[in-house]
Amino acid sequence: MWETERVNEDSQAVIAVLSRKLLKFFSYRAADTLVVFIGLALIFTFFTPHHLFIDPRNIKALAKLTPDLGIVALGIGMLMICGEFDLSVGAVLPFCSYIFVVLSRAGMNLVFSLGIAMGVGALLGLLNGLITVKGHIPSFIATLGTMMFWRGVLYVHSLMWPIGIRAYLPAGSSFEHVLTGEIGGVLPAQVVWFVVFGLVLGVVLHFHKFGNWVYATGDNKEAARAMGINTDRVKMICFMIVGILCAFVGVMQLLRLGSFAATQGLGFELKAIAASVVGGTFLMGGVGSIAGVFLGALTIQILENGLILMRVPVFGISAFIGLAIILFVVLNTYMRRRMIR
Amino acid sequence: MTSSPAGGKEEKSLVKMAGVHKWFGKVHALKGVDFEVRHSEIVGLVGDNGAGKSTLIKVLSGYHLADKGEINFEGKRVNITSSLDARKLGIETVYQEQALAPNMSISRNIFMGRELVRSLGFMDKKAMDGGSMEALKSIGLHLRSPDALIAMLSGGERQGVAIARVLHFKAKLVILDEPTIALSVKEAQQVLEFIKQLRKEGISVVFITHNLYHVFPSADRFVVLTRGEKIADVEKKGTSIDELAELIVKPPSHN
Repeated sequence: MWETERVNEDSQAVIAVLSRKLLKFFSYRAADTLVVFIGLALIFTFFTPHHLFIDPRNIKALAKLTPDLGIVALGIGMLMICGEFDLSVGAVLPFCSYIFVVLSRAGMNLVFSLGIAMGVGALLGLLNGLITVKGHIPSFIATLGTMMFWRGVLYVHSLMWPIGIRAYLPAGSSFEHVLTGEIGGVLPAQVVWFVVFGLVLGVVLHFHKFGNWVYATGDNKEAARAMGINTDRVKMICFMIVGILCAFVGVMQLLRLGSFAATQGLGFELKAIAASVVGGTFLMGGVGSIAGVFLGALTIQILENGLILMRVPVFGISAFIGLAIILFVVLNTYMRRRMIR
Repeated sequence: MTSSPAGGKEEKSLVKMAGVHKWFGKVHALKGVDFEVRHSEIVGLVGDNGAGKSTLIKVLSGYHLADKGEINFEGKRVNITSSLDARKLGIETVYQEQALAPNMSISRNIFMGRELVRSLGFMDKKAMDGGSMEALKSIGLHLRSPDALIAMLSGGERQGVAIARVLHFKAKLVILDEPTIALSVKEAQQVLEFIKQLRKEGISVVFITHNLYHVFPSADRFVVLTRGEKIADVEKKGTSIDELAELIVKPPSHN
C-alpha cells in the first residue's frame, strides 16, 4: 500500500514538472504558432484528397513559394516589433524587380543589377521611414501613400507590360542557380535564403544590442529615448531592412517566374502583417520573435495551400485566413495575460 | 580639479544652481531659484502643482535650458544642454511611467541603451544578468530572475528596477519625479527603502513629490517652491509636516 502511495506522489511530482515545462514552453512566443502549424499540417495531411498535401510535388511547390512572402514577413515582423507598419511592400517589391529587369536588360552585370535594386529598395524604405519619423505621421498612412505612389509610377512607366527575361538571360546561369536553383535537385535555394535571412535577422533581433533597441523602441519609445536610444534611427533602419528584403524577393520571384510582372507582390502587405501577427507579434509593437514570424509565414502559406487542395473556393480561403488571424490574436492575448497573471 | 576631501563650502555641495530663470512664452515658470544638493543627501523638493518643481529638475537633467542662471556641479561651472550631458556628469532622472519597457526582461531594461557587449555589438547576456541581479540586491530588492518581464512586477518592484539601473551606472545624483504617486502604501514604503539605500551608497537624491507623508521620513532637507519661487529651504530638524504643508499652500509674500 505504501508502495502505491509513493508511486502516486512520484507521478504527481512528474506531472507538476511536466506542466511547469509545458507552461514554460508556451511562454516562448513562437510556441503556440508551432503547435497550430503542426496541427494544420496534420489535418491537411489526412484530409486532402489522396493526401495531396504531403505529395512531394506539393511540398516542393510550397518550398518555392513560401519564401517569397516569408522573407518579406521577416522584415515586416521586425518593423512591427519596433512599432511601425509598412503597407508599401506590395509596390516596392515589383518596383525593385522592375529596376533589376531594366538594368540587366540593358546589359548590366546581374550581381550589380541586384545590388542596385536592393539599394533602391533601401532608399524607398528610408523614404518611408523619413516620412513616418520626421513627418510624425502614422506609418500606416505614410506607407499607404507611398504604396499608391510607387505603384502608380511603376504602372505608368512599365505600362504594365510583362517583360520576359529569357530573351537575354538564358535559364541555368550561375546567378540564377544561387537565387532559385535546387540544391542536390531537392532543396530549392529559396528555402535556404529564407532560413539564412531568418537566422541573420533572428540573431540581430535577439542577441545584438540593435535588437534590444528595436524592442525598446516598440515597447516604450519614451523610455528608450530617455535612455539615449535614437528611436528615429532604429525605425528608419527597420524600414530600410524591409525595403532591401522586398528587392531581394522581387528579383528572386522574377527569376522563378521568368518574367517581370507589375502585379508581383500584390497583397503581400496584408499577408505579411497577417504572418507576423499569427507568429505572435503585437500590433502595438514591443512583442514578437523571428521564430514566430517564420512559423507565421509557414502557417499562412500552408493554410492557403491546404484549403486549395481541399477544394475550398478561393474566396472561402480568404474567410479562413481572416478567421485564423482573429483566433490567433485572441489566443496570443490570452496566453500573454496568463503569463503575466 | 584636484579635490581635497576636507575642502571648504564649495566641496560640500554636489550641485548648486543659482538664480535660475525660465520662461515659457509669457509664463515666468522659475523666478531666480537657488537650489543646492549636498553629497549623500536626500532633498525633498515639494510644492503644489505648477509650482515649478518639474521645470527646475528638467533644467538640471538637461530637458529644458535655463534662460538665466548658472549650474555648478562638484564645484565646476557646467553647461547642461541635453539629457546626455546630464548623464555624463552622473545626473540620472527616474521618471514615473516612462522609465521601463513593460514587455522586456529586467536585465534588458536595466541595460537598455547601454548594453554590455562582447564583440561586434552582440550582447553579453551573462554579464547583463549578473549585473542586474547585483544592482537589485544592492538596493535590497530580491527578484527571482533577471529574465522576468517588467509587466510581471508590482509597481514598487518596477520603481526598484529603475532605481537599481541608476545605481548600476554609478550616478552621483538621482532625481526621482513622483516615484510613489501610483503606488500602494506598502509599495511606496518599499520605494522609500530603496531611496535610503541609495544614500548609503553615497548617492544624492532629489525626491519630487506633493505627498509630504512619503517624503518626510526619508528626506534630510526640504525645498519648497511656490509659483516659481523658493519660499523655504529647511533641514528636517527645524520643521514638521504641518509647517511644510502650510508653506506649500501659502502664497509667496512680496514686500
